[in-house]
Amino acid sequence: MSAADATAAAAAAGRPATRRRRWHRVPGSLRLGLGIYAFALVLAFVGEVALEDPNRQDLASALEPPGSPGHLLGTDVLGHDVLSWVAHSVVTSLVIGVCVVAISAVLGSMIGVVAGYVGGALDAVLMRVVDLQLAVPPLLLFICATSTLGHSMLTLILLISVVSWVPYARVVRTQVQLESTRASVAAARLAGVGRLRLLTVHLLPSAAAMILVLASLQMGFVLLWEASLSFIGLGIQPPRASLGFLIAQGRSSLQQAWWVVVFPGTMLALLLLAANVTGDGLQERLGVDVEMVER
Amino acid sequence: MVRFIATRVVQGLLVVFGAATISFLLTSVSGNAVDARYSNLDAATRARLIHQYGYDQPLPVRYVHYLGNLLHGDFGPSSSVSSSPLARVGNALPYTLTLVGCAIVLATLIAVAVATYGAIRRESRVAVGLRRTFMALQGIPEFFVGLVLVLVFAVQLGWLPSFGANDASSYVLPVAALTIPLISTLTRLMRSQLLDVLGRDFVVALRAKGLTQRQIVLRHGLRNSAPPLITYLALQLGWLLGGTLIVEVVFGIPGIGSLVVASAGVRDVATVQAVVVVVAIGYVALNLLADLAVYAIDPRIRRPA
Repeated sequence: MSAADATAAAAAAGRPATRRRRWHRVPGSLRLGLGIYAFALVLAFVGEVALEDPNRQDLASALEPPGSPGHLLGTDVLGHDVLSWVAHSVVTSLVIGVCVVAISAVLGSMIGVVAGYVGGALDAVLMRVVDLQLAVPPLLLFICATSTLGHSMLTLILLISVVSWVPYARVVRTQVQLESTRASVAAARLAGVGRLRLLTVHLLPSAAAMILVLASLQMGFVLLWEASLSFIGLGIQPPRASLGFLIAQGRSSLQQAWWVVVFPGTMLALLLLAANVTGDGLQERLGVDVEMVER
Repeated sequence: MVRFIATRVVQGLLVVFGAATISFLLTSVSGNAVDARYSNLDAATRARLIHQYGYDQPLPVRYVHYLGNLLHGDFGPSSSVSSSPLARVGNALPYTLTLVGCAIVLATLIAVAVATYGAIRRESRVAVGLRRTFMALQGIPEFFVGLVLVLVFAVQLGWLPSFGANDASSYVLPVAALTIPLISTLTRLMRSQLLDVLGRDFVVALRAKGLTQRQIVLRHGLRNSAPPLITYLALQLGWLLGGTLIVEVVFGIPGIGSLVVASAGVRDVATVQAVVVVVAIGYVALNLLADLAVYAIDPRIRRPA
């Protein structure tokens, strides 16, 4: 079939073909990432609706291998069902991830847009905070804070958000500085556009693509931090399910039961892969390069 | 040159000061370590402990006190053991440095080799395959890689120890756990940097002179892409190696990661603060070294502006 025929056929078929073509223009990495997220959501949904309570202990059926009746992925040393625990952990991970990303994106963008527009002392302070944020690994800060803070999910969300807004502020600040030299912005100012409107309507949207890419990449970091903290016992605590806790649990019975570590670990790796490839795909599709700005 | 170094040192001191402040705030605003550690103290003991650690004074006073002591390397008494926090960090540091040093050297060597190969044989199947593999490995958490390595090489095959830091062989698995995800990140950075350099005009001139792709990449590409990479890596190192903390716990290596996790567990605030400040100092020193390395490699920086 020639190209002309194909176009004609697509035109005749109407919307579905256009939609399909649009889907094909989506980079493969983005499709992979969204696919994994969809799988995680389905798993989480099935876990909430159909699977047994992940906290139900049954010492009689402890350390059952995968494939045993009633326990598709086996059980851990206390007889928790691994599949159910993983499914419920996905909910925990995604809730924390989405909350942190939303809070830090809003907070960071606001700080960045003001710093980029106003400049001066505020900007100088922001840049020192950026220096500082690079100097201490975030995980170390979280561990530091957990020595006096509690371990509730809300505490964890707020704690991670307090550290994670910085990249947004940095990226938005740079973008706003570039953008505010434009004639259109000067024209808007001359036309009497107020400061708040100038910031929100004329400057912030230019950074939207950057913010989206950062958010999708940051999701990976947040999931990793939550899992790491829960793994060392300073994050999410039972009865709430978390992948990190199950992996730590499985570590003590590694000699007898590989599945208690491997299944939650693989799920975690899949989620992180989803975040990374979604970020890459968006970067490619939207034509922005976050790493270049960060440098 | 002297002026450049002086500026960087001042900036570095600011960062260390900031890290000290942050660690103070994070551990102080939320309450006090005495209440966090002991839940059922009688009032007199609680009051005595709170007075002993200075929690009865207002926050600004404690902050000034803390900064003053910090200048003498004094983080206050550790709440769990008798030795000073700084001494404990000093004892733990060699283990962490060994681990991190080996991982960085190994990962850099492999990443340079892979990225160079990818640039010379651009679209060969091996190059594309390697790129995809590393992309998939990039996000994997170090502690999971570590546990899988333990499962295979310690539990199943029994070749290597899985716990402790007794001899060189006990470092093999933890170093591998850190290296594998790091290679992926480094290869990716190397590759984009090399491609950037190879797209410049002087490369066209080199090709016109009759140099092969191999000669261009090895002689000119690598050298030109090194300076930005070194700067970038030194900047990001803290982030790239955050996983070290957890890997140490997994493999029972008594480095600063194990120290800080254990200290946070028993609410030993002084030791946790000492670790944060020492890590910040290490980061600043390393970035200064990276600036000097770039200065040595890139003659363009040496020319007076």
